[in-house]
Amino acid sequence: MEKIPILKMGRFLLVTIQVDLYDRLALNLEADLIQMISKTEANGVLIDISAVSIVDSFMGRIIGNIASMSKILDAYTVVVGMQPAVAITLIELGLPLKGVLTALDVEKGMELLRSLIPASSAEEEVSDDYLI
Amino acid sequence: MENLLEEIVATGSRIAILDISGVPAVDSLVAQHLIKTVSATRLMGAECIISGIRPEIAQTVVHLGIDLSNIITKATLASALKYAFQLLKLEVKKNANTFF
Repeated sequence: MEKIPILKMGRFLLVTIQVDLYDRLALNLEADLIQMISKTEANGVLIDISAVSIVDSFMGRIIGNIASMSKILDAYTVVVGMQPAVAITLIELGLPLKGVLTALDVEKGMELLRSLIPASSAEEEVSDDYLI
Repeated sequence: MENLLEEIVATGSRIAILDISGVPAVDSLVAQHLIKTVSATRLMGAECIISGIRPEIAQTVVHLGIDLSNIITKATLASALKYAFQLLKLEVKKNANTFF
């Protein structure tokens, strides 16, 4: 059974989808990702879909689901590298993916996540020193 | 729409400005297409600003009952560019070291 890897990068989770998604795979990804977010207490999820060339309404819904589930667990979702054809398809399907953040590539997505996560959570370890 | 999206990928642009000052009239189909283009740009991870909307067009759009409230619109290309610079935290200023 194929599986999409979920990598932990500091306070973020990185998911790179390198194969065309089929329904079963997408559902598994959704379940795995949510498990992973709660396990690692991640603050952000970055999904790279630059290699995905075909989407349907189901896939659009899955991405939306992941975003709203992550929001409940206090993590932002950023979808990066969407291909023009995919963007057009989703719009024509009437799925503007409200609530999903987007960026052009992984680099810009990471930048966006870093700017979104309040600096306080990064300075937690440092703050102890000031108290002494 | 496709040309714009392809170009955004090719250049890695964060902001696209859609200037429609040369468009004499807008009907519901054109307006709908503009909204689709802006939404698709957002999905790609860029921002789209519509500029150069003439008063007649603003009037028609409102009369047609089209909601452009969640789209960034600017009156002129200059103000759109100014806004884009602000978004990218860029500024244009005089260089004190050159003599012209």
